[in-house]
Amino acid sequence: MATRIGWSPGPANWKDDLAPIASADWNYDRAAHLLAHAGFGGAPADIQKLADLGLERAVRSLVHYESIPNPKMQPFVESGLWDSTLNGFPESRPEATDRALKSGASMGVDVKPTGNRPVQAVSDRFFYWLRATMLETRRLGYWWANRMAQTSHPLEQKMALLWHGHFATHENKVRDYRKMMQQIDLFERGATGNLRDLTVKVAQNPAMLYFLDAQYNVKGAPNENFAREVMELFTMGVGNYSESDVRECARAFTGWYFDNLAFKVNPEKHDGAAKTFLGRTGNFDGVDVIEIIFEQPVTAEYLAAKIYRFLVRDELSPDLRKKLGAVLRASNFDVKPLLTVILSSKDFYSQASYGGHIKGPVEHLITMMKHLGVDEVPGVPDFNQSTIAMGQHLLNPPSVAGWAGGKAWITPGLLIARGNVAREVLVPDMTGFRDWNFVAGSDGVLGSRLRDGYDIGAATAVSDPSRMSTFDMVALERDEQFNTRISGYIGWQQAARKLIPTPRHAARFDLSQMVLQGEAKTTGEAVDYLLWRMLRVPTAKATRDALVEFLTRELGTDDIGRAATYMEDALRMTVHLIMSTPEYQLA
Amino acid sequence: MPRTTRLTGCGVSRRDMIRIGAGGVGFGLLGGIGPVPFVLNRASLEAAAQQSNKILVVFEWFGGNDGLNTIVPYGDPMYYKHRPTIGIKERDLLKIDAQFGWHKSMRGMKQLYDQGKVAIVQGVGYDQPSFSHFTSVSFWHTAAPNSGNEYGWLGRTASALDPTGTRGNMIVNISDSQTLAVKGENHVPLVFIDPTRFQRGVFAQEKAALDALGAPHEPVGDAHKYVLEVTRSAAQASELVRAAWSQYRGKDNPDLRLLDLDKVAALIEADFPTKLYYVPLRNSLFDTHVNQASPHDRQLEYCADAVAGFFQEMERIGRADEVVMYIHSEFGRRVPENTSLGTDHGTAQVNFVIGNGVKGGLYGTPPSLTNLVLGDNLETTTDFRQVYATLIEGWLGADAAKVLGQKFETLKIFRA
Repeated sequence: MATRIGWSPGPANWKDDLAPIASADWNYDRAAHLLAHAGFGGAPADIQKLADLGLERAVRSLVHYESIPNPKMQPFVESGLWDSTLNGFPESRPEATDRALKSGASMGVDVKPTGNRPVQAVSDRFFYWLRATMLETRRLGYWWANRMAQTSHPLEQKMALLWHGHFATHENKVRDYRKMMQQIDLFERGATGNLRDLTVKVAQNPAMLYFLDAQYNVKGAPNENFAREVMELFTMGVGNYSESDVRECARAFTGWYFDNLAFKVNPEKHDGAAKTFLGRTGNFDGVDVIEIIFEQPVTAEYLAAKIYRFLVRDELSPDLRKKLGAVLRASNFDVKPLLTVILSSKDFYSQASYGGHIKGPVEHLITMMKHLGVDEVPGVPDFNQSTIAMGQHLLNPPSVAGWAGGKAWITPGLLIARGNVAREVLVPDMTGFRDWNFVAGSDGVLGSRLRDGYDIGAATAVSDPSRMSTFDMVALERDEQFNTRISGYIGWQQAARKLIPTPRHAARFDLSQMVLQGEAKTTGEAVDYLLWRMLRVPTAKATRDALVEFLTRELGTDDIGRAATYMEDALRMTVHLIMSTPEYQLA
Repeated sequence: MPRTTRLTGCGVSRRDMIRIGAGGVGFGLLGGIGPVPFVLNRASLEAAAQQSNKILVVFEWFGGNDGLNTIVPYGDPMYYKHRPTIGIKERDLLKIDAQFGWHKSMRGMKQLYDQGKVAIVQGVGYDQPSFSHFTSVSFWHTAAPNSGNEYGWLGRTASALDPTGTRGNMIVNISDSQTLAVKGENHVPLVFIDPTRFQRGVFAQEKAALDALGAPHEPVGDAHKYVLEVTRSAAQASELVRAAWSQYRGKDNPDLRLLDLDKVAALIEADFPTKLYYVPLRNSLFDTHVNQASPHDRQLEYCADAVAGFFQEMERIGRADEVVMYIHSEFGRRVPENTSLGTDHGTAQVNFVIGNGVKGGLYGTPPSLTNLVLGDNLETTTDFRQVYATLIEGWLGADAAKVLGQKFETLKIFRA
C-alpha cells in the first residue's frame, strides 16, 4: 500500500487566514480532514480519490456536487398511514372530541348512535394519528440517516443536517411526518443554495408555519412567535432589533398559512397597512421583511459564523467572523462561494481546526459507518434510539433554538453513551434486541389487561386489576363518552398494523479483511492501521500500547497471519475501544 | 445530627481539605466534571470557600399538574361549579384558611407548611401560553417563553455563579437524558439516573484497556482538552456517584419513598460540591385527562411524601438549612372538568418553594375562577421568571437579570 501520511495540521499561523493553501500543501491527510468536515469522513479509498484530485478539484467536487451521479438516493417509501380525513388535524384531543360532539363526526369517524362511549372511535382516531406520525417519523429519520451514509454528495447532506438544526421544528409539535419530509427535501435542495431564498422557503414551509403558530398570526391580532424567531434565531441574533421591529415583522407575516402541504396567503387576514421595520417604512409582506433582514450587515456574519462553527470548529474570532460575513455578503448569500473559501483556506487546515470540531451524534454515527465500510445503517441497534441516547433525536430538536452543539454534545453520561452505542454497532445484541416500534410501554400494559378479559374501566385503573375486588371493578366501569387512556393503546395498535417494519439487520462489515487489506502483519500494525483509518486526532501512546496489548492477549499471538481465522471478535472489541476514545469524538 | 466541622463551601469537608493538604487528590471528591481542573489550587479553594453552601433542588412535576386540585380554592363556589364531580370536597381538604386547602394526599408537604417552611405561589405562568407539554416545558427550561435559548436557566445560573467554570460538579441532573434546563456554556452537568448503571458497557476482557482511554495526553486544542477532561471525569464521576450511593444510609430506611430525590440526598450526604440539582419526575401521572381522581391522588401523595422524606433526610444529614427545593410543572390544567372526569391542558399553575430558609405562606394573586381567559383558563398573575429571579437572587445570590436577560420583580419569600 501507499505510504501512510499521518496527522499533518498546517502551522498555527494559518489560523484566521482565508487565503487558499498552496497545491504543494495538499496531501492525503489534508484530504481526510476535508472529508471529515465537509462530509462524514470516509474509507481510505474515498480519501485517496480526493487527494488525487488536488485541492481545487477536491473542494469543487464536494461543493459543486450537482453533476455527480447519486444512484443510491431512493425516495422515502411511506407506510400509507395518512388519508385526507386527517387534514386539519385537531390540535388536541378535546378539540377532536368536541368536534365530533358538535357535528356528529371528526377525522372521518362518526359518533356511535347508542351505547356507552359513543365517541370512543373518534378519540382512538386522534391517538392513531399521534402514534402513526411518531412511528413514521422514526422511519423517516432512519431513511435520512441512510441517505447521509450512501450519498455521493456528502456536503449536501451535512448542510441539510445543519439547516434542520438551524430552522428547527420538531415532529412532537408538528405531528405530521409528511411535513417533516417536506423539510428534509427543502433542506437538501437548498443545502448550498441561496440563504435568502432558503429563509423565504422556510417561512412558507407548512411545518414551520404550524410550528411557530402562523395560524394565529392574523390582521388585528398578530402572533409574534415566528417574527421573533426569524430574527433572533434564523438570521440576526438577539440584540439587533427592537420589540417594535418584532411587532411590525409579525404584521408583515399576517395571513400566511398552510392548507395540508401547501403554503397559502389569505389576503383578508393580511395586514396590508404600512409597517416600519428596521428603519424602513412600507406596505411590507413577509418576503419584503426577509429582504430587509438580509440587507443588515449582521445577518451575513451571523449566518456565516453558524456555518463555520458547524463545519470547522467551535471557536472563531470576531475578526474571522467579519471576514466570513463579508464573503457571504459578496456572493449575495449564495453559500457555495463561502464553502469554497472556507474549505480551501489556510485557516481550515491550520492546527486550530484540526480536531477543533466535536462530532454531533448523527454525524458521529454516520462517520462510524464510513470507518467500518458499512453502506447501510444497521437496524440493530435502532438508529433513533442510538442517537437519542447520545443526545440528538433527529426530526425532534429540543426547541426552536435547535441543538446547542459543540461542547454541549459531550457530558459524562453522553460520552459513556457514545461508547455504548459503538459497542452495540460492533457487537450488536441480536438475540436481546426488541423493536421499540412494537413495544407500547404503559399503553401496552392496558392492552394485556384487555386481552386478559378486563373491561375498559378496570383495565385503565391505575392499580393492577388482578388485585382488585369485583366490586371495585364494577365501580370503575361507568358511562362516559370516551376513554383516552385506552385510545393510546388502540391508536398504537392501529398504526403498528399498517407500519412498514424496519429491517433489523446488524451492520455488515469484516474487520479481519480490513486489517489484512491494510497489510497489517502484527497486532501493533493492526492497531496502528485502525487508528490511522478512524482517528482524526492521534491518541496517547499509552492508549495505543494498551490496545496492542489487549489485541495480542485476546489473539494469543502478535502475529496477525496466525490469528486471521479467529480474530474478528477481538478486532471488533478493539474498534469498540477506539471509538470510545476521547479522540474519536473529534474531527 | 448537624455537622459543625464544615470548613468551606461547595461541600469541601475537613477530610477533603486534609487530603488536598497532603498533596494527593488522585481520587478525591473534588474531581471536576468537564472543563475543570482536577487539582484545585489554593486560590480556587479560597474562592470556593467564599461561596455559600446554598443548594437549590428543582423538582419538576412534568405532565401538567392540576394546581386547582393541589391547592384547592374551596372557599370560592365557582370552583365547585366548574368541577361538580372532580372538585375536592371541603371535608377532605387539609385546610390552610377560609379560602384554600391542601389536597388530602399531601400530608407530607402540609406538615412542612405548618412548620412555616413552604411558600405557595399561585397563578404562575407566562403570556401567550403553549398548551403543548414539550413546547411549554422548553419555555420553562430556557426561561424564554415564545422564544428560545440554547442554554437552560440553571446552566446560565451556574455561569453567573461561577463564570470561569472552575467549580466541578456544579450541576447534577437526575435524568436519563440531559434536561434542557441544565445545559450550560461553562459547566458540564453530571447527568445520570441509576447510580448502579452509570457506567460503560464493557466486556470483561476490555476493562484493562478501557482504563487507558483517559491516559495523560497533550491536547491538540480546546475541544480535545475538553473531551479528555470529560473522559477522565466521566470515569471518576461514575465511580464517585456509585460510591456515594453505596454509602447512602437513607436507602436502608424502608419508610422513605423519595422517588429520584434519594440520589440527591445521597450526593448531598457525600459532600458533593453541587449547588444546583434538577430532578424531573419520571413516569408522571399528572397528565390527568381521564378519571383524574385516582392517578392525581396517588401522584400527589408520592410527591408530597418524597418531599417530606427528602427534608427529613436533610435534617438527618445536617444540611436542612442549606437546601431549598423548587417545584413546578410545565402548565396547570383547564378550569372546568371534562366529560372523562379529568382536565385538559391549561395555563397558570401553583409552584412551591420549600426549605428552612423560606418564609412559609401564600404568595402571588390567586387567579379568578370567574374571569377565565383563553377558553376556560386561569389568568397568569405571576410570571414564572419572577420565581426564577427570586431563587437566583434571593437564595443563590447571583445576578438574576444577567441570567434571565431582563429584570423581574422578586417575591419576598426568604428569611433574612
